[in-house]
Amino acid sequence: MADEKKEVKPKKRMTATQAAASIGPMVKEFITGTLRARAEGKQKIAYTFIVCHHEEIFRAMDVVPVWTENFAGICGAKRDAERFLQRAESLGLSRSLCTYALCGIGFDQWREELGQMPPDAPWGGQVRPDFMISSGQILCDPRSKWYQASQQFMPDVPIYNIDLPYPLFQRDRDHRDVWDYYHQYIVKQLRGLVTFLEEQTKKKMDYDRLRELVDLSDRTWNLIEETYDLRKAVPCPMGTGDAMNTMVPINFMMATQQAYDFFVNLKKELEEKIAKGEGEVENEKYRLMWGGGLPAWFALTDFNYFNSKGASFPVETTYRMVAPLNQMDIPETKDPIEHLAWRWLGYWTFWYDKAKKRPGSEPDVERLINRIEEYKIDGVVMHEAFSCRTWHVGLIWQLHQLAKIYKPIPVFVTGKGGKKEKIYRELPSLILESDIIDITSYSEVDTKNKIDAFIETLESIRLNRAA
Amino acid sequence: MAFVLGIDIGSAASKGILLNDQGMQASYECPSGGDFKLTAERIKKELLSQTQKSEKEISRTVATGYGSTLVAFADEVKPDMVCHGKGVSSLLPSVRTVIDVGDLYTKVLHIDGHGSMHNFLLSGKCAGGSGRILQVIAKVLHVKVEEIGELSLKSKKRIDFSTGCAVFAESEAISRLSQEVTKEDLLAGLHRALAAQINSLVERIGVEQDVAMVGGGARDVGLVQALKEVRNQDILVPPNPHMTAALGAALIAMEGLKDKIET
Repeated sequence: MADEKKEVKPKKRMTATQAAASIGPMVKEFITGTLRARAEGKQKIAYTFIVCHHEEIFRAMDVVPVWTENFAGICGAKRDAERFLQRAESLGLSRSLCTYALCGIGFDQWREELGQMPPDAPWGGQVRPDFMISSGQILCDPRSKWYQASQQFMPDVPIYNIDLPYPLFQRDRDHRDVWDYYHQYIVKQLRGLVTFLEEQTKKKMDYDRLRELVDLSDRTWNLIEETYDLRKAVPCPMGTGDAMNTMVPINFMMATQQAYDFFVNLKKELEEKIAKGEGEVENEKYRLMWGGGLPAWFALTDFNYFNSKGASFPVETTYRMVAPLNQMDIPETKDPIEHLAWRWLGYWTFWYDKAKKRPGSEPDVERLINRIEEYKIDGVVMHEAFSCRTWHVGLIWQLHQLAKIYKPIPVFVTGKGGKKEKIYRELPSLILESDIIDITSYSEVDTKNKIDAFIETLESIRLNRAA
Repeated sequence: MAFVLGIDIGSAASKGILLNDQGMQASYECPSGGDFKLTAERIKKELLSQTQKSEKEISRTVATGYGSTLVAFADEVKPDMVCHGKGVSSLLPSVRTVIDVGDLYTKVLHIDGHGSMHNFLLSGKCAGGSGRILQVIAKVLHVKVEEIGELSLKSKKRIDFSTGCAVFAESEAISRLSQEVTKEDLLAGLHRALAAQINSLVERIGVEQDVAMVGGGARDVGLVQALKEVRNQDILVPPNPHMTAALGAALIAMEGLKDKIET
């Protein structure tokens, strides 16, 4: 059997905002809450995935969601994932599969084998569910396969799968030509989920409550946009390191008053910082964008290393899973399920129209370009987490396309005849490589060497930039 | 006359260059060993001995490479890619893409006409596609690592070597030798596999002409030839390609000295 010793505790990342610092206890309470719910037995507990636009349905039915990706991330951040990954490997699963899934499957197998939580389980452990809601959406493959594997150890726990497609980008087609079909299909999927939950909880859906929760979520979406827009300020008051904390209410607590209040407070804190001219770093020299990839949860202190070089991260694409609702061209409806389906489609097609207007662009690249301009970005950092195949594949391509169609940096070069010429270069980029929670893929020395070289590149560009 | 020192503490080999405004005055290289601090001291001592200079006459030292932070007497530490850029540009001013095949990593960087880096890419944590594989194979074949380039060029029937992984390469080489494959053909196959891996990294970042290859791997004529064939284009190799980071470090030290005087 695998070595089941715990790993060395990581150093804590320094946060720029009080709001980000408050997230740790919040997540801990969230995990404790699931354990409490299990002990009390009054509410049903469901394993499920983030970014499925179904939180409102769960909360309206008083179902407690257990975000299994979140628990794996916690194990990673606490550098306590390896023993669960090794468990999964000993079951014959490859390390090259999604390590979130491996961690969760390894944990479930161990818990079921013992009939209790594994020893020293992070924050009390991941509670046994009453049912599992998987998702066949396009975001990533483990969303439909993970729970099937876990079900081997919990054969009495049913799985319900919801399918959440969206029309793919086609330059010569308007996605609105087909999205009614998608909408009808998604509405059916979500209604099917309601029926499943009604069967499991022996309760009927309260649609007035659902409507209220959807409205609360919508208001939270808009508030998040307003709050994150404040990070355009120079110096930037909050960076991506903090955003990897503040992603918690966005992704795990949507449709709760707590999430809304969190962003009210964060917005106030950022406004105060801006008024005082306080930045994430004391002397902001470079403004970077986290252009994609899930972070290495065990190495979030790398953001502090960037900060120590005068680099701030005003914006990221990862985990900003909201878009301004007032800019979405979606039909109005009083039916909350129909609205959820429209919001889903509005979110995933948000950049389509803009991308069509720029030759060679695509929605993901267009989003990068818009963020670069809005947040005055000097360079792009991405993280290739080897086990996160969905992100990994697209990142390199996005950078290629970005470099090809977007060259914002004017520099003088000496041409072939010895004459000085003004040309435009692409933004410099850095690709960090490791994993979301598999620490064996990570080298601190290499990462810091790469960051050092990248900072030198930014400095060289800053000095050579043509006026 | 001011002297400056550039020192590159690599994972396998360390190099030093003593420079003044007349050009390079001395150079030295040695294995890095297990004590980088001691190696740095040894290089400094050797360079001073070659030039009959005293420590006080070194006005500035820039360290680079894997063990650079352990060079206690350095005034400044710079990433090795930055130093390669400076070093290559001083020797081959037309170069805009530098491929550094080192012991543990392969790096590709884009530089401007002044040797300033404006983009780069490194191979991952895995040593596949780096120079380490050449040392592993040299050991298996009982040949000196300096000899494998020439041997490879004598190949008559290059084999298809299936891996660029430094660990699997050893077992593949042994199994091929048991099939009576010649050293020359085996090395040519290995060089081709390694060149293909390096090329995929080059392609990821793209190429701006001219292209130069540096690092210990660039001393291997077989590997340089294989990369030229894979890319179907010329690749420039400066003299002493393994010394360009140390040279760049010395040039940066000289620039730093001038800045200091000007201010």
